[in-house]
Parts: sequence; structure tokens; C-alpha cells
Amino acid sequence: MKIEHKELIVVGAGPAGLSAAIEAAKSGVKAIVFDENSKPGGQLFKQIHKFFGSKEHKAKIRGFKIGQDLLQEAEKLGVEVVLNATVVGLYPEKEIIVKIGGEVIHYKADAVLIATGASENMVNFRGWTLPGVIGAGAAQTMMNLHHIKPGNRVFMLGTGNVGLVVSSQLLQAGCEVVALADAAPKIGGYGVHASKVARTGVPFYLSHTIKEVEGEDHVTGVTIAQVDEHFQFIPGTEKHFAVDTICVAVGLSPMAQLLKMDGIVMDDTKGRTVPKCDRTGATSIPGIYAAGDVAGIEEASSAMIEGRMSGSAIAAYLGYLSSDSSEHRVDTLENSLSSLRQGMFAPENRGKKIETTEEGIAISQNLLKAGFVTDDEITRFPGFRKEMKVHPVLECTQNIPCNPCQSACAKGCISIGEHMTSLPISVDGSTCVNCGMCVASCSGQAIFLVAEETRAGFGEVTIPYEFLPLPAEGDGGFALGRDGKKLCETTITRVRTSKAYDGTALVTMEVPTEYIDKARFYKKIG
Amino acid sequence: MDRIAEHPILGNSPEGKMVTFTFDGKELSGYEGEPIAVALRVNGVMVHRYTAKRHEPRGVFCAIGRCTDCVMIVDGVPNVRTCITPLKAGMKVETQYGVTGKEGAL
Repeated sequence: MKIEHKELIVVGAGPAGLSAAIEAAKSGVKAIVFDENSKPGGQLFKQIHKFFGSKEHKAKIRGFKIGQDLLQEAEKLGVEVVLNATVVGLYPEKEIIVKIGGEVIHYKADAVLIATGASENMVNFRGWTLPGVIGAGAAQTMMNLHHIKPGNRVFMLGTGNVGLVVSSQLLQAGCEVVALADAAPKIGGYGVHASKVARTGVPFYLSHTIKEVEGEDHVTGVTIAQVDEHFQFIPGTEKHFAVDTICVAVGLSPMAQLLKMDGIVMDDTKGRTVPKCDRTGATSIPGIYAAGDVAGIEEASSAMIEGRMSGSAIAAYLGYLSSDSSEHRVDTLENSLSSLRQGMFAPENRGKKIETTEEGIAISQNLLKAGFVTDDEITRFPGFRKEMKVHPVLECTQNIPCNPCQSACAKGCISIGEHMTSLPISVDGSTCVNCGMCVASCSGQAIFLVAEETRAGFGEVTIPYEFLPLPAEGDGGFALGRDGKKLCETTITRVRTSKAYDGTALVTMEVPTEYIDKARFYKKIG
Repeated sequence: MDRIAEHPILGNSPEGKMVTFTFDGKELSGYEGEPIAVALRVNGVMVHRYTAKRHEPRGVFCAIGRCTDCVMIVDGVPNVRTCITPLKAGMKVETQYGVTGKEGAL
């Protein structure tokens, strides 16, 4: 059998794999990337929300755009991406068997990067195999790649970022999300993601999980019930929803099978099997690297940096880069990665109960239970400020590594400071010019422009809006509170769209002054 | 399930070429090149196969070719992952019973 030789074989054309190939190719390494899918980019092309982080992490850019940019960069550098290519084996001496179409090809590489990502976890409940029970990833694939609704009435199990983001996306696609549930006692993902869903009126059921999904040939309903601290159902707490679709978002597991089959030393200590790696992803076998979710579940933003770190180390390993230059580059990248691993949701804080913010402010407990900060709680955060004239109100109440709002405002109305996890401050005495850039810059859609009084007894609230149909000036409707409940009647006074807002529309509604600090969403009558 | 005609972020859905195919002998239509499973879902088909032992219905679960719950008989070939197999004009798609057979063959 003929063996084809390659310098660098990357398995997986997602954010980590592409970034690694790009970084290595920059130093002259000839890289080939295999991916079993018919399209490259991994899950990036399903990510239609704006990313978190700072500018260097491509914050406020939507995932699919980041995917397009990566592919362009890879192409420019001559990285070869082979699709419909399933890597079926990784053997000693870096021999790799790939099934491409109907053909099986035997390769041997000087260096290998495994960037196979992760697969979705599943939980068992009665009816879990019924058609209509799908992974949250499946919902994203159907909506954002194939442009169909996964279902009409959807129940979401899981309130991590995947569950929250996919719920938002379901609403954007025009599906009805009837509720979210999580067996954990608190919402696992970012509060701002939860708030986007809660303000549309979707309820959260914490310490609840699915008891049974019913239906003959497909899902027609779901029964959930409350669980105690030992995750046992509490009788009499059952709730029933008529739905056609159940979305399951209960975590991800690294797809490390290739690494295991090659005998790489694995680490099982954190409840999941990941390869033992140094900071560049170098495994126990020289020349074999791992990056992205396969080396530990994180975000696409971190996967891209990890990929670049591996790519640089591989370039040095293959002699294309001096070890000094590579070390220097890896140091820089590691700083950038560390900045993403800070704050309340940092890897080391998983499972910890955090009561106060870095600023010493008590966390909103309601945000953790119901997905929104109450009207009373919001006033204690530094993003909340009262002024007659228009000014930003920043409803960002958890320390997450994200700061685009600070640079979005040219007038200095928003301050985060040096530390990117600090809560944004709405700066007293600053002069907001109502440009709306902050509202559109916030990946969490947590910034509102508020004018306490624009005419006697009335003020205006500007909200980010990523739904269709877009309201028009003069439209009537209801202003909804953070809890998604109707507060009062309202009239739309202005609707702004702009290339600079990148898909986020700014909708301004007029409400009686007494509701100015409460109205955070709009619903048309009917 | 419906197609999303217009999306607030993704804009208008791309217009594909509408082709016809058969599902258990019934003529249906879908866009050429989209996954067979997507065309089926738009036509309201949720059950792709029945399991061998318990005769339980199965449909799309992961939609990315990983779980194999959505396999069907396509142009006579069983165990085809319909969520990642592009639809072609005239395809013959059939519900799968067990791992290979058709109903009655079990």
C-alpha cells in the first residue's frame, strides 16, 4: 500500500484546527486539514450571535463571519482543506488512515494536530429516543445552516450557554420556546444570555428536569418535575407542556478517540477524558498535538487561540521557526487566552458558588433562578444610572471577560477599565450623543439607552432587537419588563438599522416615566 | 416544520432548485443539495426508521452525521445517514426497519 507523506496533518477544520494550520503555514509549514463534514468551519457557521471578549478575541463579530475570515486566511496561506474526509485511525509513527469518499488513503505525517472538537452529551428520560427529541446542536444546524425550523413549540433542557444561546436562536427563527429547565439549582450560562430569553416571556424552571416525553411516533408533550438536592423527583411538582420538540443541551464531551487509539496519555481527573498536554497542546507523543474542545471544553474564542499556540509550537517542532520565536509567540497568545479564562465563569470557578462580584456587589439571585435581574436589584450595579437626558444603562451584572462597549463609546460614557471582567460603569456627567453604538456592540444585548423624560410624563427606552418583523415608527404595542410581562402600552418612536450595528436593530419606544427603568422589551399588539 | 423564509440575522434563505423525490412511494419535494432529513422534516416526516427488536420509531437526533439515528434506505442502500446526505432529484427514500430490512423482512 502506498503511503502519502505530509508535513502537518490537522484533523478537524473547526476554529482550533484552522487556526493551527494558519499559524503553522505562516512559518512555511505545509499543512493539510481533514474534516469529515462537507463544509469546513466546525460549529462556527452555526454561531449567529456576536462573540464575547475583547478586540483581539474578535469580540462583537458574529461566529459565522469569523468562520469566513478563517477560511479566507487559510486559503491565502495555501492550507489544503480536504472535506468529506473521515480520519478513521491514528497509529504509531504518526500514520493516519483517512476515508475520503469511497477511498481509503494511508498517510504519514511529521506532525499531527488533533482538533476533533466535542460531541453532545445526552440524558435518559422516558421517551428520549422519540423523533422530535434533538440535540441543541441539531437545532442550530437546522436553523442556521439549512434554514428550517427544528420545531414549532420547543422545550429546552439545559441552561448552560448552549441552551441559552440556542433558545435565543429558536426565538429568532420564529419558533416558540415554551420553557427552559435545568436540574441544577441555578442557571449555568451567562446571565445576559438568559435575560435575552427571559425578557421575551419564556419561563425558567431550575431544579427541574424531564420526567417523561410523550408521543406515539413523535413528540407531542413533555412532563417535567422538580428535583431535590439529590436529583430525585419531588412528587406532586409535575408540570406539563404541549410541545413538538425537545432540545437537549446538557454539556459536551471531548472526542478524543483518535488520541486514545494512538496510546497518548490521557487525564481522567476532571470527569472527562482529555489528553495530558503542555500549554501548546503537545501530548505525551512528540509531534502530536491537541487543541480546542478535544483538549478540554471551552468556547470557540479560546479554541482559536489554543490552535494558534499549537500551530506555532508545531512550526518550531518542524524546524520552521526558532524555539525562541515560538516561545515568544506562545507567551503572547497565552496572555490573550488567560484574559478569556477570567471572571465568574472561568474554568477554575466551575461548580463554585459565587455570592458577590469582583466589585463586592451582591449577585442577582433572581438572575440565577429566573433569568432576569429584578427592578430592585438592577439599581445596585454600576451600569445603572439615572439622568433626564439620554444615557446608556448597562445591565451587565456578572464578571465576564468582555469589553467592546467601552471602546464603542467615543464619548467616554462607558468605563470598564484595565481589567476586562470588571462590570461596565455608566459614567456620571458624560455626554451621550445617542449614537447607539454601545447597544449594538454588546454581545449580551444588555445595553439600553434611556431618556427619563422626553416630554411631560414620558421618556424613551432604546432596546437591541434581533427579531422579525421589525417594528416601524408609530407602531403601537406593549412594553415588557425584564421578566417578559406586559408593563404598559407603548408607541415606537424610532427604529434604527445600520451596517455599523451589524444586524442588531435599535428600537426606541416611548413609555410613561414610571416605567422607564423597567421596560426592556417590545411586543406588538396581536 | 416550516422553512424560515427570512431571518433577522441571516437574511433571506437562499433559493435552491426544487426537485422531487419519493418517500415510501409518495412523491415529495425539496431543495436539491439540502440534507434528505431537512427535506423530510419540511414535509412533516419525523420517523426515519423503526428499531429491530422493539419496533420503536427513531428520527433525527444530532443532525451532523454522528449518532446514526436518522438512517434510512436511500436508492436501495440501507443505513444512509439522511442528515448529511444531499438530496438529489428522483431519489428513492424509504423507512428502514431494523438494520437493513424492510417491514415484514424481520
